[in-house]
Amino acid sequence: MEIAPSVFEDEARRHVEEEALAALVDQYASTLYRVAFSILRNASDAEDAVQETFLRVLRHRETLGEIRDHRVWLIRIVWNIVLDRKRRAKTRPETDDVTELARVLPAHGLSAEQRAAAAQHHAHVLACAEQLPAKEREVMLLSAFEELSSVEIASVLGITESSVRSRLFRARNLMADLLEHERSLR
Amino acid sequence: MNMHSEKTARGLAEAGEAEATLRVIAGLPAPAGLEDRVKARLERQPAGSLARVLEWPARSWVRSALARGAAAAAIVAVVAGGSWGVYSRVQPRQAPIAIPHVGGAGGFSSANAVRTPKTLDVPTVMLAANHKSAAGEKQADGKKKGPRSGKTVGLQATAQSSGK
Repeated sequence: MEIAPSVFEDEARRHVEEEALAALVDQYASTLYRVAFSILRNASDAEDAVQETFLRVLRHRETLGEIRDHRVWLIRIVWNIVLDRKRRAKTRPETDDVTELARVLPAHGLSAEQRAAAAQHHAHVLACAEQLPAKEREVMLLSAFEELSSVEIASVLGITESSVRSRLFRARNLMADLLEHERSLR
Repeated sequence: MNMHSEKTARGLAEAGEAEATLRVIAGLPAPAGLEDRVKARLERQPAGSLARVLEWPARSWVRSALARGAAAAAIVAVVAGGSWGVYSRVQPRQAPIAIPHVGGAGGFSSANAVRTPKTLDVPTVMLAANHKSAAGEKQADGKKKGPRSGKTVGLQATAQSSGK
């Protein structure tokens, strides 16, 4: 029985695509996890989001060759996934954030009390960031990733670079007001 | 003014601290073995099960050309049969009813019709019992003078009675 050459071609193509996908996982899974965690602030949810991202890539693996910047493309996918999940999930209480942050924050040379205080401070700041308008909050969260330039942030969010800058400026001012207000209440 | 600028500077410094927090969160390392778990999940995904939802499976395409032809013929037969069934059940169209043109020389026309209004009955006015005779005399006088409508007579009689 003769097997058409197209079968071999398909197999070879699939093999190449799988290898390319594995390379993407090795290269960007960690970055995607950090992006997901910065929004979801839960380790298992963030890992799920990364898994889902690569499953989506698997579905569209034939288009991998057409993508210019895989990193920004993947961040954009994971970004949309986590935003969608966050929209569906209820608001996390600050206590959950404190517990999770205390677990994951690096604790080199810190006592248990200092770790707890640091976690509480970070959770409080994150709670304030949650009060920012969505557009400003998103830019501020993405700007915290040092490997992302403003052009790349603009590409992830689908806006112009000048919009990124103006939103970041507004976000900083609003954040300052919020923290000032919170401090005056204490 | 100085207080305001101090407040602003303090607020911006706090905002800077907040950004530092976000950077700390953004810099948290991924859990160990994440890549392996992702790859394992991707491998568990049945090969091509996602991509072939809309594709015809390649192997069966090659091996069973006869079955493919039979399937295509069956689809054509089903579609054609269904279409014929729908077509044959459609009722024949009813012929349009021709309304004969009436008018002109042979038909009826209302061109010379004359409208005759209905005449109203003369209204009757009931007079009070004690003025019956006086009213009767006046009516009699009125008849002598000329024909008058009953309504006018009645009204005059009423006026006279109210004058007393």
